[in-house]
Amino acid sequence: MALNLTINSSNPPLGALLTAEHVKGSVNVSVEEGKDNKLCVSQSVQFSDLNSITRYLARLAPSLGLYGSNMLEQTEVDHWLEFSAQRVCGQSGLAAALGELDKALELRTFLVGHSLTLADICVWAALKGSSEWQSMQTQAGAFSHVARWFAFLGSQVPFTAVGHKYTNSKAPSRNSNSE
Amino acid sequence: MMALRELTQGDKKVPVLHSNNGPALVGLVTIAAHLAQEAKRPELLGGSAEHKALVQQWLEYRLTKVDGCHKDDIKTILKDLNSYLEDKVYLAGNQFTLADTLMYYGIHHIIVDLAIQEKEKHMNVTRWFDHVQHYTGVRHHLPPVVVLRNRVYTSGHH
Repeated sequence: MALNLTINSSNPPLGALLTAEHVKGSVNVSVEEGKDNKLCVSQSVQFSDLNSITRYLARLAPSLGLYGSNMLEQTEVDHWLEFSAQRVCGQSGLAAALGELDKALELRTFLVGHSLTLADICVWAALKGSSEWQSMQTQAGAFSHVARWFAFLGSQVPFTAVGHKYTNSKAPSRNSNSE
Repeated sequence: MMALRELTQGDKKVPVLHSNNGPALVGLVTIAAHLAQEAKRPELLGGSAEHKALVQQWLEYRLTKVDGCHKDDIKTILKDLNSYLEDKVYLAGNQFTLADTLMYYGIHHIIVDLAIQEKEKHMNVTRWFDHVQHYTGVRHHLPPVVVLRNRVYTSGHH
């Protein structure tokens, strides 16, 4: 099964690219640059919403555990997908969202369970694209748990690969890229 | 073929590894590092020169500070580790190494006896410990230590 992911090259969807990078060993997915984000599954089925794209890719490779390993974890992943779209990319103050995220990460290496999931990928990608977070990172001691988690993920292989390739053209975060 | 024995040195017992090829190896960390090489897992000893030195530093910390520590030293060890681990996932930075395994085994008896308030107070140690005890193949027969789930669900959203 061959899938094709087209990305908006002026504002690359980091979360979808990271997910594609993670599943590429088990799923045959090619990436193309274009104007809009979409994942073509077949001639009649395609996804254009970022969370739908990452969910579908993660479900195709269940052995990687990107969608958690039980029902509770799946629900937690869903919680964080929504959080990344609504709270991190949203207009309402980032500081409140970061406070919540910091609390959640006090006793956690990964957001859900004990390994990497879509929750980490999507929240990380949303923060990476946030200019507000970039400027906050320079203040020492602010949201230290988020900072540790953010740096840890950023140092792992698929993250460095995607980060180097796509972040230079990244525009400052906007609420939405669909007009 | 390898055989692990114990040697009494003074009032301490020291492990000794005998193998068919090569001299006998003495000491916990020496043997552990040798076994990591034998298992073809050299990355457990660190990648870069700096990373290797960090791994050695924590292996030495385990031997000199943690092993046979007195009750009064436990507070200091927990405090040190807690501030060190604030911005780190693993002892030697962002990769899992032998230092994490041996420190986990070394302080397990301390963490098992901690009250819930103590675990909260040393949050960074608790987080690291919980992560390592769930790391594939590390815990074996040791009893799991209960760590609170995160507290994200206790506060209402909006």
